[in-house]
Amino acid sequence: MVSVELRNVSKRWDGFELRVDLSVKDGEFLTLLGPSGCGKTTTLRIIAGLEKPDSGRVLFDGNDVTDLEPNERNIGIVFQDYALFPHMTVFKNIAFGLEMRKLPGAEIERRVKWALELVGLEGLENRYPEQLSGGQQQRVALARALVIEPEVLLLDEPLSNLDAKIRERLRSEIRRIQRELGITTVYVTHDQEEAMAISDRIAVMNVGRIDQIGEPLELYYKPWTEFVARFLGTSNILELEAENGVARLGSLEFSVGVDGRVKVFFRPESVLITEGEDATVTGYELLPGRMRLYLDVEGHTIIAERPLPDLPFEPNRVPPRVGILVRSFSLLSL
Amino acid sequence: MRFRPSYLLIAFPLAFLLLFFYLPMADILRLGLWDNGPTLRFLSAVLGNSYHRWVIRFTITQALSSTALTLIIGLPGAYIFAKYDFPGKRVIRAILTVPFVMPGIMVALGFILLFGKDGFIAHLIGRDPGIIYTWKAILLAHAFYNFPIVIRMVSSLWQRVNPHYEEMAQTLGAKGFRLFWKVTLPLISPAIFASAMLTFVFCFLSFSIPLILGGYRYVTMEVDIFSTVMTLLDFRTGSALAVIQITLSAIFMYLYLRSLDTYSKREEQRILQRPQKLGPRDLLSLKGLGVVLYSVLVFVFIVAPLLAIVYDSLLFNGHLSLENYRRVFSPEYNPMFGVSTLGAIKNSLLFGFTTVVISILVALPLAYLLNRWDFRGKRLLDVLVMLPLASSPVTVALGYIMVFQSTPLYYTFWIVAIAHSIIAYPFVFRSLSTGLTKIKRNLREAALTLGANEWKAFLKVELPLALGSLIVGAIFAFAMSIAELGATYMLAPPEYTTMSLAVYKFLGARHFGSASALSVILMVVSAIGFLIIEKVGEEVW
Ligand SMILES: Nc1ncnc2c1ncn2[C@@H]1O[C@H](COP(=O)(O)OP(=O)(O)OP(=O)(O)O)[C@@H](O)[C@H]1O
Ligand SMILES: [Mg+2]
Repeated sequence: MVSVELRNVSKRWDGFELRVDLSVKDGEFLTLLGPSGCGKTTTLRIIAGLEKPDSGRVLFDGNDVTDLEPNERNIGIVFQDYALFPHMTVFKNIAFGLEMRKLPGAEIERRVKWALELVGLEGLENRYPEQLSGGQQQRVALARALVIEPEVLLLDEPLSNLDAKIRERLRSEIRRIQRELGITTVYVTHDQEEAMAISDRIAVMNVGRIDQIGEPLELYYKPWTEFVARFLGTSNILELEAENGVARLGSLEFSVGVDGRVKVFFRPESVLITEGEDATVTGYELLPGRMRLYLDVEGHTIIAERPLPDLPFEPNRVPPRVGILVRSFSLLSL
Repeated sequence: MRFRPSYLLIAFPLAFLLLFFYLPMADILRLGLWDNGPTLRFLSAVLGNSYHRWVIRFTITQALSSTALTLIIGLPGAYIFAKYDFPGKRVIRAILTVPFVMPGIMVALGFILLFGKDGFIAHLIGRDPGIIYTWKAILLAHAFYNFPIVIRMVSSLWQRVNPHYEEMAQTLGAKGFRLFWKVTLPLISPAIFASAMLTFVFCFLSFSIPLILGGYRYVTMEVDIFSTVMTLLDFRTGSALAVIQITLSAIFMYLYLRSLDTYSKREEQRILQRPQKLGPRDLLSLKGLGVVLYSVLVFVFIVAPLLAIVYDSLLFNGHLSLENYRRVFSPEYNPMFGVSTLGAIKNSLLFGFTTVVISILVALPLAYLLNRWDFRGKRLLDVLVMLPLASSPVTVALGYIMVFQSTPLYYTFWIVAIAHSIIAYPFVFRSLSTGLTKIKRNLREAALTLGANEWKAFLKVELPLALGSLIVGAIFAFAMSIAELGATYMLAPPEYTTMSLAVYKFLGARHFGSASALSVILMVVSAIGFLIIEKVGEEVW
């Protein structure tokens, strides 16, 4: 397996410019996460060689592959719509890459069988893609990409066409297989939950740039930008004025260590609810096992989420005012 | 970008087009518009001549009237096909494919046998119906060729009209004709317009039909150019006429392609109206009777001319006999066209297959290039590739005579095959383009990432998926070559006389029996094309 590096890579289209620096470690599962049109697919296609960057270099294990064609890079790619060859059976689809490598027939047979087992599709080798369910097609696409023993696996929203149940099952399966093979993987999605669930690291993209890259929890609790904070889960972001290193809101005190305008960030589950009069309850929602409270402190809205047993009141008797405490917070770049 | 050997594949079609289309056309332009400098003298001479003026006016009016007649016959069929499923629909649909592959000369013969002063209808009603050798015959034969197109295109859009519109309009009180006029018609009009434009272009450039069925009087521009060049040997006037014809047909072709764009966009929408099933019992209702009547008429209209030929081929001196076939198949040298009938059959097949091969070699790389790659000047190339569609066989042949007269190519097998290919390849190109656009781009990319090079990806993935459209294009090329008359007449040496040409010569000599027998063979060859199209099941329809 190899490491993958994009060094000063840029690509321009009418009204869009991609600029990325990215390095994926050997055997790592890295997810590109971002809203539609931010350049995830383009980044992936540049790694695959399907798109040539306008400038910058693509390195596999430190070797410059920028000028290599896709068929010279030894990568496996799974497209959003799978791109299975409709005129070939499952077997033929999976065998395609092996035939291109001119492997002997028996070897092809053996490897296809291995790949079918890997994705749990034994017995379907003679079907045509149109005779398969979406989930099965997805597995064939994965098997086809993996059977050639690629050094890098690229997946472009491979689950977005499937319904929620299958999506969850397949994503853990993809992760299992990736761990089993130890293959360097770049995974594209716009689904933050999916990204959190399976990635070693996540790169959050925002119109052509990577805003932040890091481990899921790091991004979740210590986002650098408002964009990253809002893209992953629910956020509280308070714009406050700090004096003598402290920003205040009602009874809340944040030791920010700087003066002037700051953006204080914390997650709803970092807000503790006590008995008290700090905040007005403007609304609440009962979620499975939790309660979400919408609070108002001097015109600022704060969202809090607590497990039901942690509440200082009965869930069916929400008082008009509560006390609050923020356990941990971080600062966002302005 | 690295140099790829596949770039070379583009060089062949481009060189071919340059040499065998643009060079001859340039020479026609030179002769028609140049005399020590640009001049409109020859054009005004043509336009000042009352005969040529009449021909131009007739060419346009007959095309307009043919289009109108075609719509009148086709639109009820479009309605029936969109709205109803009925027993025998498949058969009627198949029958409607037949005209696509039937040579004009054969259809003309069928019409003479049916409507002529000695024909079946004349016997039936006891007098000459007065159709053959008048404009009426031309209109009927043109409708024969084109009303299936109207049915196909219009019914396709009709099925895509959201029934809720019609229901909504009905609740608002629009009924019957008003409903159709205000709601349905605007939605299907792109199909009506596109199919009408296509019909118009076809009729505008028509050759065999007016040549045979129009007699001496009803002459189209294509026939006029033909006789100006072939009997008067007046290349100057021929070129001037050709310039006028190309200019007009380029305009019409442009309008057609534009209207086709609108139509194709609409056709991408989902089918929203499933046809209503009519069982045997419904056939007694008013709509059932309408469907039956129309189906019978379609059947008779298409099959009757063909049956008339078959019947006539079996008649010799008023008796049923195989004598016509015996004569046609006798291996003797036929002084009328310098080759035995078997030779003519062989020639036709040879031209047909050569045309298929050449037009694929020209069309495939171009279609692929224009569909898969982005580059500067793409639109220009698109136009250059499609322009031959606006020319005509007689014009191409005229250009060839002028340009290649003193080369070894002249008066050979190859110059005929090349002329056929220039005429046929735009159809292969269009069929392939449609096929290729339907193939998702990322299939090719998947193949590339799996280790295939561009060539392998094309061969293993894209070509198999485009095969249906390639075969349909090939059949069209084949049918066109088999049917071609004007250019073959002008370019072919006697030993390369084709079946169509032989039928024409038999007709000229009034040997109807031999013409019919040979036409039956022509029919069989064309029917093979029809069967392959049916088998491939690609959307000709
Ligand atoms: N071949 C192309 N030509 C022109 N513009 C392109 C091309 N490919 C992508 N773009 C543009 O580049 C931008 C990024 O596209 P990209 O497909 O990488 O986004 P994405 O993050 O994958 O979005 P999505 O989640 O919708 O798939 C978009 O604005 C898109 O319109
Ligand atoms: Mg994308």
